[in-house]
Amino acid sequence: MTSTRDLVQDERDQYAFHDDIVYLAQTKRGLTRDTVEEISRFKDEPDWMLQYRLRAYEHFLKRKMPTWGGRLADIDLDKIVYYRKPSEREEKSWDDVPEKIKATFEKLGIPEAERKFLAGVGAQYDSEVVYHSVREELTKIGVVFMGTDQALKEYPEIFRTYFGTVVPAEDNKFAALNAAVWSGGSFVYVPKGVEVPLPLQAYFRINGENTGQFERTLIVVDEGAKVHYIEGCTAPIYATDSLHAAVVEVVALAGSKVRYTTIQNWSNDVYNLVTKRAHAYANSHVEWIDANTGSRLTMKYPAIYLRGEGASADVISVAVAGRGQHQDTGAKAVHLAPNTTSRIVSKSVSKDGGRATYRGQLKVAPGATGVTASVRCDALMLDDQSRSDTYPYIDIQEDDTTMTHEATVGKVSAEQVFYLMSRGLTENEATNLIVQGFLEVFTKELPMEYAIEFNRLVKLEMEGSLG
Amino acid sequence: MTEIADPSALAGRPARAPRRSPTDLPFTFVDHGLVEALAAGRLEPAWLLEDRLAALALFEALPVEGSQLYTPYVDLRAASLEGAAPYTMTGSAGATTAQGLPDGVAGLLDLREDGVAVVAISDAARTAGVRLVTLGELVATDDTLARELLAGGSLVPVDEKLAQLSRAAWSQGVLVSVPAGVRLEQPIVVRWAVGAPRTMIGRTLIVLGDGAEASVVEEIVTSDVVVPGAQALLCATTEIRLGAHARLAMASLQETGPDQIVFQQRRADIGEAADLRWALAQLGARLVRSRVDNVLAGDRSTVEQTEIVFGSDEQFHDLTSYTRHVGRDTTGQLLSKGVLMDRARTYMKGLIQIEKTAIGTDSFLGEFGMNLSKAARAVAIPSLEIDQPDCRRAAHSSSVGPIDETQLFYLESRGIPPDDARKFIVLGFLEPVVARVPLAEAQDRLREALEAKWDAGAAAAGAASAA
Repeated sequence: MTSTRDLVQDERDQYAFHDDIVYLAQTKRGLTRDTVEEISRFKDEPDWMLQYRLRAYEHFLKRKMPTWGGRLADIDLDKIVYYRKPSEREEKSWDDVPEKIKATFEKLGIPEAERKFLAGVGAQYDSEVVYHSVREELTKIGVVFMGTDQALKEYPEIFRTYFGTVVPAEDNKFAALNAAVWSGGSFVYVPKGVEVPLPLQAYFRINGENTGQFERTLIVVDEGAKVHYIEGCTAPIYATDSLHAAVVEVVALAGSKVRYTTIQNWSNDVYNLVTKRAHAYANSHVEWIDANTGSRLTMKYPAIYLRGEGASADVISVAVAGRGQHQDTGAKAVHLAPNTTSRIVSKSVSKDGGRATYRGQLKVAPGATGVTASVRCDALMLDDQSRSDTYPYIDIQEDDTTMTHEATVGKVSAEQVFYLMSRGLTENEATNLIVQGFLEVFTKELPMEYAIEFNRLVKLEMEGSLG
Repeated sequence: MTEIADPSALAGRPARAPRRSPTDLPFTFVDHGLVEALAAGRLEPAWLLEDRLAALALFEALPVEGSQLYTPYVDLRAASLEGAAPYTMTGSAGATTAQGLPDGVAGLLDLREDGVAVVAISDAARTAGVRLVTLGELVATDDTLARELLAGGSLVPVDEKLAQLSRAAWSQGVLVSVPAGVRLEQPIVVRWAVGAPRTMIGRTLIVLGDGAEASVVEEIVTSDVVVPGAQALLCATTEIRLGAHARLAMASLQETGPDQIVFQQRRADIGEAADLRWALAQLGARLVRSRVDNVLAGDRSTVEQTEIVFGSDEQFHDLTSYTRHVGRDTTGQLLSKGVLMDRARTYMKGLIQIEKTAIGTDSFLGEFGMNLSKAARAVAIPSLEIDQPDCRRAAHSSSVGPIDETQLFYLESRGIPPDDARKFIVLGFLEPVVARVPLAEAQDRLREALEAKWDAGAAAAGAASAA
């Protein structure tokens, strides 16, 4: 007889695969000035980018490892391959993607998703964008959606105007590392007044033991334009540690609307140290919808700098921390202009000794009058081996700010479980349902397919806890 | 009386000190020499010198801020105390009698930077076995108890630099001890007075036996020794031990002058079913750095901490509280409120820690700020660290905002002039702490002080707008 657990295990295996790829070009393990130069040479980059990388590299060396947040001591920076290129050139259509790589994406369900309604796919396999299809309609309305490397060549002006302006290379140690060795990622430009009707999506995967993934995403949304960008990740499981240090920059110009959705499900050996930040200009609206279920340690605090009057921001951040995991996540809202609004909602679940940490910052700078801000953090702990922390930083420097913050921590209520069990559910099913309900604030913001996938991920996480 | 102000200590320093970092201590006079001089001058036993030196080693090794959570928020630059060395020998008062005791008070200990002005205790309290003595007196007359209370660092947090400073270099100290089962109806008043350019380093020990009840009012004021333009320092600990079922109400009113620096470190170990109520008011001083540690060790122990700040001009109040739940079914109720005028800064940092053993915890932390000026700055960092999900409640809440316009409108609609209405709302916001001061006379004085501070601020604002 096949038990439910075996079925679940099978489903889990579907996401834990690893194909043997012949890498055509890769740098030696470890990071030196030569590695940085080599990467730039591989990519045939303009000199200013090489200089930028080298400056960032110097800063990376100078900067100390963060001592707060999660445990970073086990990362061996000398063991990481900072660049590898799985195929020679960027593919334009699905048919040109190598079979081996295509097989990997088949397992992830990308082609189906695309066929159904997704607008474009920028799929990153290891450190290079190998597949990129942009629907004709997008090209027609002037939307640019391509690999960041390609954009550097094809749209040098927009690229240079915005690259590194939201997250400077000197921002933090891992932003500096990314700036030095970045490779791949997505570039999106939405022209004035254009509304992209469907979400743009990019799937990222890490493959190859100890492969660093340092993608760099730059999204520029011009005045009055609108876009929804989605990224999701799954990764194969390995015994040693992997590092993912991405940088995402979003520029929301006056009156634009941007939503950036992430489902992060790295395997439990990945260090996920990501800097995500948006600049929101006058009357623009930026949303970070962020879920973290995977990785060994995630340190990620999507940030919004409200720079123009009337700008607004929403952050919905959910995290599930299981055995051996630490999700150190949160959000940051920096109000720099008058009459700006921000709302942060965070939900976390910790279980099997996992640790979920909310770390957030809310800052109202002098001159930012008429600010309204709210922060809400709820945490659910499923057993007493787990840990939940909440560290909100609130720094208000204006007299007419209205700011509220609430946080609660609790466990699944026995009454709710009992009620559901009386309706015929098993205890596990009941708990699972309650957890899904708890995270619904996030799920309901997702396109249907993603919502289904996310609920399945949560279920897998929950089932995993029963062993 | 001798003093250690030694100009040669300053001789080797450059004429202009380099720019200070926010974490640099504003003095260099605490060293081996000072500690030796204190112990020798006071004819202390060897074990006490040993304890002081152990503390000095910790003091020298520790950073000003031991918690990673708060390191970016340290700022001691407002203090400049190089010329404010402490006395190594202090005068003592005559025999403890009921002489000089105000009405309605069970005991009074009045301490100045250079000596003890009054020690008085009511006959009833003395007969009941209540002790109110200076630590110098205790060390001289009861070596066994002194050792029991002081040796090994007592309750001084081992990770707190400034607390170890008090333990290493205290020159004044108080013991309040109430035997098991004794209920003291009237409060004991302890007054600390220091004037510029002097430093007073002290300790307050409060010990309540099983079932004992008492109330203590601490007054921190400026003494009549004041050299204009110079600063004074009070660095003091409060160490509270509550036996099973003991009850203590502890109020502290800090009303020093604008040239005062105050470092306070308080710790309470709360026994089974014991109850501690703090009422803390910060009105005065240029810079206050305060830390309260509540350790709910006993099952069913409770703590209620109510703290207010009324800041104006350049005042900076940096307040941290740690509430550690260890026993079962413990309760913590913490409330911090700040009203800020002018360029005042208030940092309210609070951490609730619920340990694995603390099943059934009920813990709440609230931090609320009212910014009345554009240049005021309120920082709230209410944090939670939770290892035991089986809680009755674990939550925090914070808000920062201007005066509530609806309240203002309501009062004005009742015919109250706007200025009076604002005053009522502000004083009402701060009233919770006033109501909790366990001495009517002190309540009245606090209310008057708050009102006077409001009136002065309003007058200054009126003058500024008229100019």
